[in-house]
Amino acid sequence: MVYFLKRFTHMLFVLWTVATILFFMFRTMPGTPLAAFIDNTTTAEQQNALIRQFGLDKSLGEQYWLFLTNLMQGDLGQSFFFKKPVVEVVMEVFPNSVILTLTSLIIAYLFGIVAGAYLAWRRGSWVEGVGIPLVLTTRAAPEFWLGMVFLAIFSFHFGWLPAGGANSSGTDWSSGWARVTSLDYMSHLALPAITLAIYLQGLPLLLMRSNMLNVLQEEFITMARMKGLSTWAIVMRHAARNALLPVATAFALGIGGAVGGNVVVETVFSWPGIGRLLVNAVSASDYPLAQGAFLMITAVLVVMNFIADITYHLLDPRVRVAARG
Amino acid sequence: MLLNPKGLLRATLSAASMAALLAASQPAAAQSGDPIRKLTLISRAQAANPQQFQSAELIAQAWRELGLDVEVQGMPRPQQSDAVWYNRDTWDLTMWQMAGRPERSDPDELIYNLFHSSTRESGYNFVGYENLEYDEIAEQQRRTANRAERKVLIDRLQDIVNEDQVYAFLVHPLQTFAFDKTVWDASTTIVQPGLGIKNFWTFSNIAPLGDQKDMILNSSDELNAINPFYISGATDSWITELIWDRMMRIGPDGLAEPWAAKSVEWADDALSVTVTLRDGMMWHDGTPVTTDDVMFSFTAPIKYAPMYKPFVEGITNIEVLDAATVRFDLTEPNAAFETSTLAKVNLAPKHVWEPLLAALSEGESAESILEETRIGSGPFKFNRWASQQEVVLDANADHWAPPKMDRWILRIVLNVEATLGMLRSGELNFLSDYTGDPTLLIEAATADGDIDVVESVDVGFQYLAFNLRRPPFNDTAFRRALSAAINRELIRKAAYNGFAVNANSVVSPALSYWHKAGIADELPTGMDLAKTILADAGYVLEDGKLHYPAGTMETFDK
Amino acid sequence: MQRADEIALPGRGARFIAGLSRWFSAATAIPRRDPFAFAGLLLYLIFILIAVFADNLITHDPREILFDANYDLARNLQPGGDHILGTTFSGRDIYSQLVMGTRGALVVGVTAAFCVVTIGTVIGLISGFFGGLTDTLLMRLADVALGVPFLPFVIVLAAFLDPSQWNVVFGIALLLWPQSARVIRAQVMSLRERAFIEAARVTGAGPWRILFVHIAPNVLSLSFLYASIAVGWAILTEASISFLGFGPSDSVTWGYMLQDAYASQALGRGQYYWFVPPGLCIIAVVVAGFFISRGYEEILFPKLKD
Repeated sequence: MVYFLKRFTHMLFVLWTVATILFFMFRTMPGTPLAAFIDNTTTAEQQNALIRQFGLDKSLGEQYWLFLTNLMQGDLGQSFFFKKPVVEVVMEVFPNSVILTLTSLIIAYLFGIVAGAYLAWRRGSWVEGVGIPLVLTTRAAPEFWLGMVFLAIFSFHFGWLPAGGANSSGTDWSSGWARVTSLDYMSHLALPAITLAIYLQGLPLLLMRSNMLNVLQEEFITMARMKGLSTWAIVMRHAARNALLPVATAFALGIGGAVGGNVVVETVFSWPGIGRLLVNAVSASDYPLAQGAFLMITAVLVVMNFIADITYHLLDPRVRVAARG
Repeated sequence: MLLNPKGLLRATLSAASMAALLAASQPAAAQSGDPIRKLTLISRAQAANPQQFQSAELIAQAWRELGLDVEVQGMPRPQQSDAVWYNRDTWDLTMWQMAGRPERSDPDELIYNLFHSSTRESGYNFVGYENLEYDEIAEQQRRTANRAERKVLIDRLQDIVNEDQVYAFLVHPLQTFAFDKTVWDASTTIVQPGLGIKNFWTFSNIAPLGDQKDMILNSSDELNAINPFYISGATDSWITELIWDRMMRIGPDGLAEPWAAKSVEWADDALSVTVTLRDGMMWHDGTPVTTDDVMFSFTAPIKYAPMYKPFVEGITNIEVLDAATVRFDLTEPNAAFETSTLAKVNLAPKHVWEPLLAALSEGESAESILEETRIGSGPFKFNRWASQQEVVLDANADHWAPPKMDRWILRIVLNVEATLGMLRSGELNFLSDYTGDPTLLIEAATADGDIDVVESVDVGFQYLAFNLRRPPFNDTAFRRALSAAINRELIRKAAYNGFAVNANSVVSPALSYWHKAGIADELPTGMDLAKTILADAGYVLEDGKLHYPAGTMETFDK
Repeated sequence: MQRADEIALPGRGARFIAGLSRWFSAATAIPRRDPFAFAGLLLYLIFILIAVFADNLITHDPREILFDANYDLARNLQPGGDHILGTTFSGRDIYSQLVMGTRGALVVGVTAAFCVVTIGTVIGLISGFFGGLTDTLLMRLADVALGVPFLPFVIVLAAFLDPSQWNVVFGIALLLWPQSARVIRAQVMSLRERAFIEAARVTGAGPWRILFVHIAPNVLSLSFLYASIAVGWAILTEASISFLGFGPSDSVTWGYMLQDAYASQALGRGQYYWFVPPGLCIIAVVVAGFFISRGYEEILFPKLKD
């Protein structure tokens, strides 16, 4: 409990620091923050009115205080371009990002865990000799490059999967749930999710493999072997369970990292996600929106870091023992 | 910012030549002024606008042969407008473009705003051009109602811009559009000069051949707003003109024709115009369109819509004569009034917008209002907008000119390659925004067999702007020489892949009536000519570096 | 006093050399033991040679717009003849871009790796050795750096600062140091209790001297491990940033090439000779880093946990 509180305070501290850094970064960037926003034809009075409207005439300290108090109430301000609260704009695409991230992570981790266990079991064989470099190669390939190649093959050449977007044009859905569970949505999700999964599977695979190698050397495995259990049964029943924990932690960390890291894949597949929103906001100098999207991504990352910490602490007997001792 | 051996070399060389210059400066001092400083040519970044960046590099390559030190600097758009538009005294050269819009079918908007000295401070005349003769004629053409007389004046203005080479015009790009001819009846598309087949008339007229009655088209830009009082970018104006009707519309011939107005009648003194509304028009919520709405739509922009304000400023008074008739009184005769006002201002429902405007606090404008019903009276009704994905409009069957399609669906697709793939797979059936290589589109269409490709010359144009406030660009001879050194044929081919026509006027050849025929050939060009012009004007080449004429010192704002 | 110094001096030097040689023997042990690591080092060597001799290897200026005999743009030429890998849509020589791109990629990769590892090592050393408040502060700083989403941060930097590859280097240096700092910190904590450190302390060496002369050489191999990963990270990030259009327009890197190929529809035109080579080069360099780090990993972390 003490540990929990301590990590929780750390988390809040990190969130606050990042928000503060962000606030000052956006306000000290070169050029007028309104440069791109104000149409080329607006007059000086109109510009001043806009500056007042967005509170940019107040002192930096006042602006910061306002920013913080609003943030506490979940108010991220008003988007320059969309004329809507930033929260609304962000939340419109946020679910898509989460779905894409989770789908690709689940594919990646399911594959990575099984393949990692298998590679550990076949240690020293030719399978390992081919497998490891292959895995490392997929992790080294730029995602957009991979995405483009997939698009060319599966969409343009064979026509199996749609080339972009999250839904076919003009489709109507009774609810958001009906939409994301539809075959249409899933067929659009397939290519970006697989592209991401290929990139993401390297980590769980290697992690699983090295944990398995450790576990396989431990005594209780030798015991099981002596009892006459078959090797694969030992791997799956005993070793895998013990090797899974760090992988689970990595999964939580993976969510945090991937939500913001998807931007490239979102662009290639025209996927409506938060990364693309950030890029759009940044190129259009929509500061409140860029700031909001960035904060949202940060929040996911920090919360996931926290969850990973806590699960690791709760589940790992070694850490618990160490903490007690 | 990599260590560039070539750059280093250049730096050393110019240092060496400076040293040589100093050594030899005693006899030379009498014949030449200061050396011309290193010039920076701003362009959009290579990634954002490869054609523009390629043009800039080609121009820089040519100018270096004249003895100038030119550096091309690629920038994102916000930084470019900050450097050029908001800091008008401190830039040298920039690549720029004017986009084609329906209301630019009348030459007035560009010809007046770009070069009239009144827009020098903060308006469109960002290059700082000042010519009293030009100002006078530009004002005079506005007052000239007779088309033929006005044409003479417009020609004269094009000549002046050519003589002074205020801009170094490059090209009018060709736009390419495509559609699936098994879905749409090709004979029902309508070409609007300068805009191609992607225009209001095509959308309201095109007929489906089979069961697919939804038009699925694309935009390569993210969309920011759909608002009758605000244009946030190129794409949203296609949408607003479908949802909100206007008193007149720019017809396929480029002239304004009555639309929501049954008739438009001018008084003899050209100081007032009487407009009669069409009978039985309804807003999308079922309430009738009234003269009150008209009055509201033309007065609200003064206070609440900065972008539309310039178009209604010339109106002194609006008088409701009866239930269907309104009279507009003008401060002075304005030949472009139909195009730039009656065919430009969106008719917005007073009952929806008036309360919203009234609730605004001081300094806010209609631009900051998010009105999500988007009720208009146009041939299409707003259905929904899914951020970063699509905008869906439904055909308005109750409109007096109902579209033949069922729905108009605009997809946001950022990936050019995917755009082409989607056109072939049927995920798109009307290609409305293609930024890629036209050759590939034509190849794809040939391979596919179902796709028709249509090209058209843009009303807009690409150019290089000189900052006339700063030497050496304040010297007309210098500008003419620089412009002469640009090989436009090369740019047309090497940057635009041949899909462009050479430009030398703000009035596109797409506007065949107003364009001064042959003006693109009236600018003599060539490297030798450029050198001769410079030499005649007193510029001196010393050790490969161009110097000002004798006695000229370089003074300018940093 | 004087005598003590005289004795201590060669002693310190010898220990430093011993530390270095430990590191050196570890560094050379791996290629001998692990063929992957050997392959990785070999790949690095090849790319470094290409980068150094790029000026001699190119056949054209990679940024020059090329024309054919009829003064038409030499665009989309097939590989062969004058152009080993053909030309791009805008008439540049692809092979020369690829070669020059090696230099761009390595400069970004190596600088970023150097920055991140220097910061990470110094902070890890100080934090692990001094402990206490210093440690707490530095580790909170690490938490913050880990809480900033990496790619979005670099995007924001690249969009607001002038377009340049140094944005990527800067972003990596600012955000990726905590990984190496944490591991090095743990290593230092165990090292500082060891006998030879005690011995140094007894001879009267100051804390900074102990830290940088006695302890630092022992963690250098760890730093090297993180450096080899950071090189790959930097190159991949640079490619992503260029792909999103935030890269500089005036220098050639592999990311720039891929972006150019993508925007010019190289795939649609079937120009695999344009689209594939930069991708393969990126993979090769990054994999080389992984191979090397994996080799070290086996020696340094028999029980990998982090």
